[in-house]
Amino acid sequence: MASTAATRTASGAVKVVKPIFSRDINEAKRRVRELYRAWYREVPNTVTLYQLDISTSQGREKVREMFNKNKHITDPRVIDMLVIKGKMELEETIHVWKQKTHVMRYFHESETPRPTDFLSKFYQGHDP
Amino acid sequence: MAGVIKKTTGLVGLAVAQKPHERLRILYTKILGTLQTMPQDAAYRKYTEEIVNDRLNAVKAEPDVGKLERKINGGQIEEVIAQAEHELSLARKMNEWKPWEPLVEEPPPNQWKWPI
Amino acid sequence: MAASLVRLVRGGVNRTLNLSRSTALIQKRLETTTTETKPTVRPKDAVTHNQLSAFGEYVAEILPKYVQQVQVTCFNELEIMIHPDGIVPVLTFLRDHTNAQFRNMSDLTAVDIPTRPNRFEIVYNLLSLSFNSRIRVKTYTDELTPVDSSVPVHKAANWYEREVWDMYGVFFANHPDLRRILTDYGFEGHPFRKDFPLSGYVELRYDDELKRVVAEPLELAQEFRKFDLNSPWETFPAYRQPQDAPKLEAGDKPAAQ
Repeated sequence: MASTAATRTASGAVKVVKPIFSRDINEAKRRVRELYRAWYREVPNTVTLYQLDISTSQGREKVREMFNKNKHITDPRVIDMLVIKGKMELEETIHVWKQKTHVMRYFHESETPRPTDFLSKFYQGHDP
Repeated sequence: MAGVIKKTTGLVGLAVAQKPHERLRILYTKILGTLQTMPQDAAYRKYTEEIVNDRLNAVKAEPDVGKLERKINGGQIEEVIAQAEHELSLARKMNEWKPWEPLVEEPPPNQWKWPI
Repeated sequence: MAASLVRLVRGGVNRTLNLSRSTALIQKRLETTTTETKPTVRPKDAVTHNQLSAFGEYVAEILPKYVQQVQVTCFNELEIMIHPDGIVPVLTFLRDHTNAQFRNMSDLTAVDIPTRPNRFEIVYNLLSLSFNSRIRVKTYTDELTPVDSSVPVHKAANWYEREVWDMYGVFFANHPDLRRILTDYGFEGHPFRKDFPLSGYVELRYDDELKRVVAEPLELAQEFRKFDLNSPWETFPAYRQPQDAPKLEAGDKPAAQ
């Protein structure tokens, strides 16, 4: 959804848009780094508070992966929006509003990988 | 006098005013002063001056609170005071916002078209 | 200037349609039972209508900077369409002005119309206890444009704006406490958007091995797989523009003859 809006704003580049927080990409990047640092520091607390069965480094790796998932985005407004959502998630995690299940959802432990090639799809029984 | 007869306004959080005339006069003068800084042809200034002058004249002419309330017809005198306070704060904000200027931006075409 | 900007639409098409349909109904009724005297049509209230349109023009004249359009609907509801910059000024004016006194915010919500460039309409419903009157203020935004929060004007807007943020993803700038209010922690997406599938993206179940609730990508069982998950919303068939019937060119003859 965010990406469709991004393409729309990119096509109408002449149009002046109202910034959310950041006026240019560098400011947006700074906000992302701040958020990443906050998450990085919070991981050990989270692991102990929620009594997770993972190590701190695993948690940090997951944080890094989540940030890398959106690394292709260049529109500062989309970045800002993602940072806002990330901050809200962080707040929920710090205040222990979440439960263990919500935190462990990032790790997709119970999911079996979807079959990709024809034969394994056939063995699975139906086309997922 | 009002304080002697009237014990309560019957509204939560609204105390009986001791000297409503004086309070109203001060408030209305302040509002008029604030309106002076707006351009002559601003509709907000025109209408608000009308309302305020009306009420100010009533306050000056009528010493009895009960009759004044009926003359203004804006509820109890305490409510009229509250309205004047709100109007004053609004007038001060209006000076910042300058809403008498032309429209900031036209809506995109078909923004308000309904059905789509 | 203001007068040229204001268009008083009387909900024209809508009302005439309704009227013609209901008059037909009445005639039918009269044929069967002649004792029926009460009309089933909503009576036209010209006095209220004129009052509302006069007040709408009054607002538009005072705030020409923000008011884009004023209209009174066929149900006698006054609607004021404003530019998103003017939310706080317009709401404050309606709250504090002696002739308005809309001191009560009864509702705040949004409408998603994906075909428009500014797809979200934000709707504010206000109530004036002193004048026993209601007003509706509308503005617009898209997914990425922040809207000024109306919490400094109306305290009631706090949770309403959280709800709109949660359900539509409209960001309210300067909101004191913007976070989710209805969805579960870790929920992704905004469910009231029209492009959000009816079934959602994940399904939850209790996992016996992990001893906790887990979320997995949605996988529908065989018999439900025929569902169309794209858009669950019927886009108002009654209001659709009639499709242009294929027309014959001047020289063509119909094929049958």
